[in-house]
Amino acid sequence: MSDYGDLLAGVRRRTKISRYRPVVLFLVPVAAILFQVYVPLFLDYLGYLELPLLVTVYFAAMRRRPVAGLLYGAGIGLAQDALSQNPLGMFGIVKTLVGYFAASASLRFDADNPGSRFVLAFFFFVFHQAMYWVLGRALIGTPVELGAARTLVLAGMNGAVAVPFFHLLDKLKES
Amino acid sequence: MELLTHRYRTLTILALVIAGQLLLLGYQVRTQGDVRLVRVWAVTAVTPVARLLETARRDVSTALDTYVFLAGAQKENRLLKRQLGELKFEVRRLRRELARADRAEALKLFIERSPSKMVAARVIGAGTGADSKVVFIDRGTRDGVKKGMAVVTPEGIAGRVAAAYPTASRVVLVTDPSFAAGVVSARTHVQGTLKGMGGRACRVDYVQNEQHVEEGEWFYTSGDDRVFPRGLPVGPVKVSREGKLLREILVEPAGLQAGMEEVLVILEGVHQPVPAPAADEPEFELLPPPDTLTTMAEPGAARPTPVLTDADRLLETYRRIGQAQGHVYGEGRPGSPPPDFNWEPGPAPRKRSPSGGGHE
Amino acid sequence: MEFEGPAPQNLLKPLPQRDGTRFAAGRIAVFQYLIAGVFLFLLSGFWELQVRNPAFYSERAERNRIKALPILAPRGRILDRDGRVMVDNQASFSLALSREKLEQRQLRALAAGLGLDFDELVLRVRRFDRTHPKYEPVIVKEELTPSELAFIEAHRGDPRYPDMELINAHRRLYPRGGVAAHLLGYIGEISEAELNLLEFVDREPGDVIGKSGVERQYDTLLTGIDGERRVVVDSVGREREVIGVKEAVPGRDLRLTIDLDLQVVAELAMNGRRGAVVALDPRTGEVLAMVSRPAFDPNRFAGRIRSKEWRALVGDPEKPLLNRAIQAQLAPGSTFKPIVALAGLELGVITPDFRVTCNGGASFYGRYFRCHLSRGHGPVSLYRALADSCDVYFYTVGNRLGIDNIARYAEMVGFGRKTGIDLPGEAPGLVPSTRWKLRTFRQKWYAGETISVAIGQGALTVTPLQLAYAIGGLAMGGVWYPPHVALNAGRRPEPRRAALDPAHTEAIADALWAVVNDGGTGLRARLPGIEVCGKTGTSQLASVRAIHNRKLAGKLKDNAWFVGFAPKRNPEIVVAALFEGGEHGHLAAPIVRDVIKAYFDKKERRRNNERIARLRTAAPFRR
Repeated sequence: MSDYGDLLAGVRRRTKISRYRPVVLFLVPVAAILFQVYVPLFLDYLGYLELPLLVTVYFAAMRRRPVAGLLYGAGIGLAQDALSQNPLGMFGIVKTLVGYFAASASLRFDADNPGSRFVLAFFFFVFHQAMYWVLGRALIGTPVELGAARTLVLAGMNGAVAVPFFHLLDKLKES
Repeated sequence: MELLTHRYRTLTILALVIAGQLLLLGYQVRTQGDVRLVRVWAVTAVTPVARLLETARRDVSTALDTYVFLAGAQKENRLLKRQLGELKFEVRRLRRELARADRAEALKLFIERSPSKMVAARVIGAGTGADSKVVFIDRGTRDGVKKGMAVVTPEGIAGRVAAAYPTASRVVLVTDPSFAAGVVSARTHVQGTLKGMGGRACRVDYVQNEQHVEEGEWFYTSGDDRVFPRGLPVGPVKVSREGKLLREILVEPAGLQAGMEEVLVILEGVHQPVPAPAADEPEFELLPPPDTLTTMAEPGAARPTPVLTDADRLLETYRRIGQAQGHVYGEGRPGSPPPDFNWEPGPAPRKRSPSGGGHE
Repeated sequence: MEFEGPAPQNLLKPLPQRDGTRFAAGRIAVFQYLIAGVFLFLLSGFWELQVRNPAFYSERAERNRIKALPILAPRGRILDRDGRVMVDNQASFSLALSREKLEQRQLRALAAGLGLDFDELVLRVRRFDRTHPKYEPVIVKEELTPSELAFIEAHRGDPRYPDMELINAHRRLYPRGGVAAHLLGYIGEISEAELNLLEFVDREPGDVIGKSGVERQYDTLLTGIDGERRVVVDSVGREREVIGVKEAVPGRDLRLTIDLDLQVVAELAMNGRRGAVVALDPRTGEVLAMVSRPAFDPNRFAGRIRSKEWRALVGDPEKPLLNRAIQAQLAPGSTFKPIVALAGLELGVITPDFRVTCNGGASFYGRYFRCHLSRGHGPVSLYRALADSCDVYFYTVGNRLGIDNIARYAEMVGFGRKTGIDLPGEAPGLVPSTRWKLRTFRQKWYAGETISVAIGQGALTVTPLQLAYAIGGLAMGGVWYPPHVALNAGRRPEPRRAALDPAHTEAIADALWAVVNDGGTGLRARLPGIEVCGKTGTSQLASVRAIHNRKLAGKLKDNAWFVGFAPKRNPEIVVAALFEGGEHGHLAAPIVRDVIKAYFDKKERRRNNERIARLRTAAPFRR
């Protein structure tokens, strides 16, 4: 197991691993999901803000552990599924992959840089929507609407929100 | 070698987690069932928080609202306008309270006057996912809510219970594409099926082109779906035009216009001949005039226009020609004058068949 | 839920910093592509196994995911000769059930919800099961009402109900109140017996076919070719995507020879009466109107008629399903006299001047036969004999002719066999003769029987169509065009001609003119300015053996006939009216008068319109 660390360290020397209190790791996604459940009732345009996704990306990227990232993503995704009309697993699978790839990507990008954070959020939003679309079509025969332009705009919006949001989350770091 | 196993370890975990979820999905798709337990957990866990949030929001919103307002007032002239500002604040607060009281009163009245048994519920959340037409309400099986029940507001129908959990329920809104309900137009008694389209409006399906539905006319529930009791308002017609096969009718669901906060779940529905009895409440300015209400109360009144063939129309023309001349078809005493079938019925509008080849 | 906080941290130790340049960035990329590849492999392989593997799903999921829904082709419309719509189509919906996961309890719930008979529903599904593969949905209810549609839509996807699909069908829209019902016929689901018929060889159980009338006769032409829509449905059976569409080919429109104006007038004239009206153009054989009463409402058959309702129709003693115009075989009464006269003239038995003295009756073969006028007509020639319908005159002529001569001429004008009209179920009628009696009863013909046949009674029966056909051809001087109802039936059959002496047919036509215009029995058919000719007929029912029905016993009055044509020479229209229980022939005359008047009024209207049109084209710049 230690070799695993060696491998990753070899790729990026300057890699810094952030640590968080377990309670933070638990409460932040819950708050994000609650936000998504509750706020669009009054401000429906905020329904397009995928806070759970941003949370997944953030923690996976900051902790830089693919396994942790994918499990974390799966957890958030399934919680989201439970509160949706979809069969359980749709968001779960997508977020699992997001968590995994975000953690893997963080090994190559500087996840602390606002620019790369925007790119990360942007990219993973597009990936998230595309994957969701693929799963919807292939697995349960529910073609989810996927407008390319619309997705890109929303990805930009999510990316824009991600930068200050991630900055806020930085304050919850343990050390 | 060691490295490879580590590499595989990550991969294996990824594969396992995904495969596990695929299994879960496959199970649901195959059985068309649901993993109810997980949802119950999630919903039950979220409900109290959401409820708390909703209560907090209500209290805070007034304060926040007035604070923002006050802040503006203070900026202008703190000292001079402070008193005025405070007064305005007070007026505003009172007005809000009054509105809320009115609303509560209206709900109470609605429940009292309605023959159906209902339970009031608060909307505490929206379903996850960007295009969600699903909300959560804070009443569940403990309050007698069951899957499939109708959800309404005094303004109009709102949706149906898609799933009921112990303390909360998931409601599919009328605008969801999976929603359908039987409706009938107030004036012309045209029956149709209301369907959600995923957008703001709903459409009314299965209305023949020949049937007459006017824009602005209201639709009410027909009770045909055996879910919504008859006589509940649905909404006014926004668009009514001839379609390729059937008439295209778009309805604006009135139940969703008022920024749903409270809804009513119908526990035991009772059909009503006349729509919403609270017709004299201030909120009901959109209700149709009373004469249409009375026609609605009469069963079978104002039948939809029948669809006819040329033969039917021509028969009617000849019948009128005969009547106008006092001629009884197939009868006639010797020497009686024969009917004149070229008789013109004067200036009265003449209903000739459109393709009447004989009269070109 | 694998919701975890610190758990993943246990899986991995904190990462120590170390050098490892041999793991180039490219390797990481390869590593990730590998993961993506493995993921895709997993995804597809897993899904193949899960969903497509027959061991897991026995083809059900696959079949369920792709559904073939029929697009029902609309039947052709039926138009009158001017192109006015007699039978139309209307958008309608049918309920189809997927049979793959169908459960009894779901059917029960559906039956309860839609008010269907559960046993009938199960039977219907079973019958379909026998002949169709499992993935084809079964149509269980046609003509869904708005209420039923609302119910179905509101409960789609509910596991308590079957997997329901709505199919756009085309409801047949017939004229209301049974107008032209017998002529047009009706449609219905093909029966087991019909499936074995050659004409329906390419049909399948569940198909809708023409069951009677024009709908049956021209079924092949009217029927279109159904299309198919292949759609992807999601896990709850909702349609999500259309893969392929084979458009339906609509059936062809059929134009009839019927003139709706005349049809409608005839319908109105028969209102509340029992009987039939047939109007023909004797110059072509085109049927201009065909009415039979009592009628039924074919709109009720347009969907699935309930068996109870059907039994009531079939069991009705008034026989509303019978197309009396071509199926009622009744004694023609005095309307037969022109044919007897023709036989007499042609065979030289009588001349137009031949006279018989009528004293209200006469004895033949030891039996006294009465004339309908008990005080007698006095001495009558052919002209007055036909005009006043003197029975004694025709007893005498008939007696002189003998039954076989009468039969010969009756058959010549078209009695005793089908006219060959393009409608199913035509009855041939009966012309008695010595041969017929010998063959049927193994008995010798008694000369006394000839006397009743001479005035259209006895065993002689005709249909209203035959009567119009016969008199029309006679009025044409012996040219009989085969009657038909389809205007564009392609080749028109050659007429049947008989070498008749024009003097004879004209003498008869003159006498028939006198029936209406010279103090005869058909005065009620008179139309000023139009040379209406005709013949009344009253046929007694007392001799008819079919009076075992008690219900009808009270209503059993004589049948009234009237057959008329106009004008006297080169007639353009011939109308036969049967007024069952009308008691006397002259009461049927106004029915014919109305139809003939409608014909000439329309002709005048058309002429006027043409004249106006000509004037307009002649002076295009004048306003």
